[in-house]
Order: sequence, then structure tokens, then C-alpha cells
Amino acid sequence: MEIRLNGESRFIDKVTNLSVAGLLEMEQVASPEMVAVQLNGEIVDRGTYQNTMIVDRNEVDFLYFMAGG
Amino acid sequence: MKADRFEDLSGVRCPLNYAKTKMLLSNMESGQTLEIILDDGPPIRNVPGSVQQEGHVILCQEKQGDQWNVVIKKV
Amino acid sequence: MVQLTDTQLDRYSRHIILQEVGPEGQEKLMNARVLVIGAGGLGSPIALYLAAAGVGCIGIVDADVVEISNLQRQVIHFSSDMQRPKVESAAEKMRAINPDIEVNTYKIYLNASNIQEIISGYDFVLDGTDNFATKFLINDACVMAGLPFSHGGILRFDGQTMTVLPGHSSCYRCSFRQPPPPDAVPSCSQAGVLGAIAGMLGTIQAAEALKFITGAGTLLTDTLLTFDAKNMHFRRVSLKKRSDCPLCGENPTLHELEEGDRATCDLSA
Repeated sequence: MEIRLNGESRFIDKVTNLSVAGLLEMEQVASPEMVAVQLNGEIVDRGTYQNTMIVDRNEVDFLYFMAGG
Repeated sequence: MKADRFEDLSGVRCPLNYAKTKMLLSNMESGQTLEIILDDGPPIRNVPGSVQQEGHVILCQEKQGDQWNVVIKKV
Repeated sequence: MVQLTDTQLDRYSRHIILQEVGPEGQEKLMNARVLVIGAGGLGSPIALYLAAAGVGCIGIVDADVVEISNLQRQVIHFSSDMQRPKVESAAEKMRAINPDIEVNTYKIYLNASNIQEIISGYDFVLDGTDNFATKFLINDACVMAGLPFSHGGILRFDGQTMTVLPGHSSCYRCSFRQPPPPDAVPSCSQAGVLGAIAGMLGTIQAAEALKFITGAGTLLTDTLLTFDAKNMHFRRVSLKKRSDCPLCGENPTLHELEEGDRATCDLSA
């Protein structure tokens, strides 16, 4: 399938039933707690990462927490 | 024709001459006229065009010696 | 009636000749009251540009003193300012740039019991703080007070900012919900920052404040602007005001300010 991840096109093969949690893992996001995930413009509740599925043509944005000033 | 306001901007460099013109216009009523004196060279090449771009009307522009008389109608 | 002296006309001429600012916009800046929270990496360029722009009254909040490790990016402080309160050092530079402005200094840590009093009376707030607890506190207090503000954050080579118009656009909590658990926050060894990043983000925040005051252009509302300076890649992510936001949603559950854990990896130092 093809998704848009952080504004860029991404082909994902050999994966069925990709969840938000799975995508975070696949993208090697070291601290998922430091990311808010937006799926098709809606923030995904943290408790539902395991059972929120990503399908073809979804748009996913990782919004990183940044505390520095 | 006598303008409602008059300002001699001779010797005032760009873009301060334009800033002063804008300041004067902002304190005038719509339809009122402002006559300014500008030096030849960059001032006359720049100020009337900039004034026009903001929607005001240049009623007349006349060379008198080394300087220019410009009459502006506030939009 | 816009009244500017010849000196002011000259000083602010590059604003005045901008169609979107003009004498009227400059007058708005001169009558504006803006609060800068944090006199560090972001607060430095923010405070310098707001002062230079002639923002009439600028408040600056910071409890810390200047340390040598600040000087790599906190450009409002000089080597000769070591151990001086940051707000004092900052105010001195701001007044030196523009003696026309009034600077209010607050040498304190913001908390749930003092923030409301400090932000009241300002027209716009800029978050230049270095920890999540204060970022959420600023968001919550500003949304509760209906006070527009600019959120900003930097880390390593990255920066992010959004502008919040309470009641009209999404707030920081709409997207980020709650501070991350302290053990997930990058440890000191991971929390470096390229100095110039602070300038890049801080000047964007300052520009948002100037645009808000003058009404020029469109703001970064419902938009998170992020950049990755390692590849100099900028991106805008559209955000939505969430109806289930605990703060600004339809059935808010947050009615009082929370006292968070301000623990930081000393990014300000």
C-alpha cells in the first residue's frame, strides 16, 4: 500500500494489518511517548495505537514533542 | 489649484520621503489632496509609483527646476 | 490620528513603507503589550526583534542567571553578563536597541498560582520556555484567559511553532494532549541544539507576534510549522481544533491550571 507519512509518499509492502503502533515501530521511533500521531488530520488517542489500522492512501503525521527553548 | 496639505520633501532621501508621505496621507480624509516637493532622481522615480500602488491617485507631476511638484489625491 | 516624531518615522520607515503595516500598523505596534516567557534561545531573538520593531511594552520572564553554556545560542546575553539575571541582561539590550520602549522584567518561575496575574494586561504571549510543564501551563492559562499566543519548541536540529487564537483555532492540547512522561523526555546527552536553530524559530515567532498586532497576513493558526535544519526541510502540518480537547473542547475537563513538573534537562543552561 501507499501512504503519505510526514508529507512524503511511502510504499509499504509485505505488511498486512498495519496499526499505528506497528508503523511507529517500523519507523523506529525511539520514544513513541514523544510523538502525537495524526491520521488523516485527526489525532489518534494514545490508548488506541494497537487497534487503529492504517490503510492504503492514509495520511499520517508524526508530531514530535519539543520542549527546548 | 491649491492642495489641502503641502509638504516640502526636498533633501529628504528615499525611502524616508515615502514614509513621510504615507504618514501625511494617513492623517487626511479620503478625497483630500496632498502636494509634495520631491528631488529629481530616485525620489521622483520611486515615490509617486509607490503612492499609486497603494491606490492613491497622482493628479499631477510637474518639474520645476531641479525639483518636482506632485499632487496626490487620497483614495 | 497617527502621530510619529521625525525620529520615529525614520527609525520605523521600513515598516511604514510596507503596505500591510504603514503608519497605522506602526502605531499599533507602539501601543501593543507583549509578554516573552523565557529569555533563552527563543526569547533572545524574540525580545530583540520585538524591541527593534518598537513594540511599546514588552514583558520578559525568566528566573535564571546567565551561564557560559547559554552564550552558544542566547544571543541577547554577552560574555560580560555572566551570573547576571537573564531578565536584567535582556532588558538592558532591548533598551539599548530602542530607548522608546518600556520593558517589564519578571525574575520568577511561572507556576499555576502566578501566571494568570502576569499574563493579564498583555495582548500577546510568546512561549520561549524549555520544559513541557511550562509550555502546557502557558497554553492552558492563555486559552482560559482568551489570550493569543505563539508556541515554540526546539530540539537538536528541529523546531516547531504554532499560533493559537483561543476560541478560534486549535490549542497545543488539541494535538499534544498532555506532557509526555518525564522518563521519555530526552536525556541531557540527547538534548543538544544547534545554536542557530533558536534564531530560526524565535524570529518566526517574533514575526507572528508582529503580524498579529498589525493584522498583516495570515497567522500559523491550525498549523504546526516544523523544520528540520539538518536538511533544511520546512513543513506545515494542518491541525484541527478538537471537540474533545480537555481544555478548549465542547466538554472541557480542565477547569483549573495544573501544577506540572518543571524538570528539564537544563536546556536553558
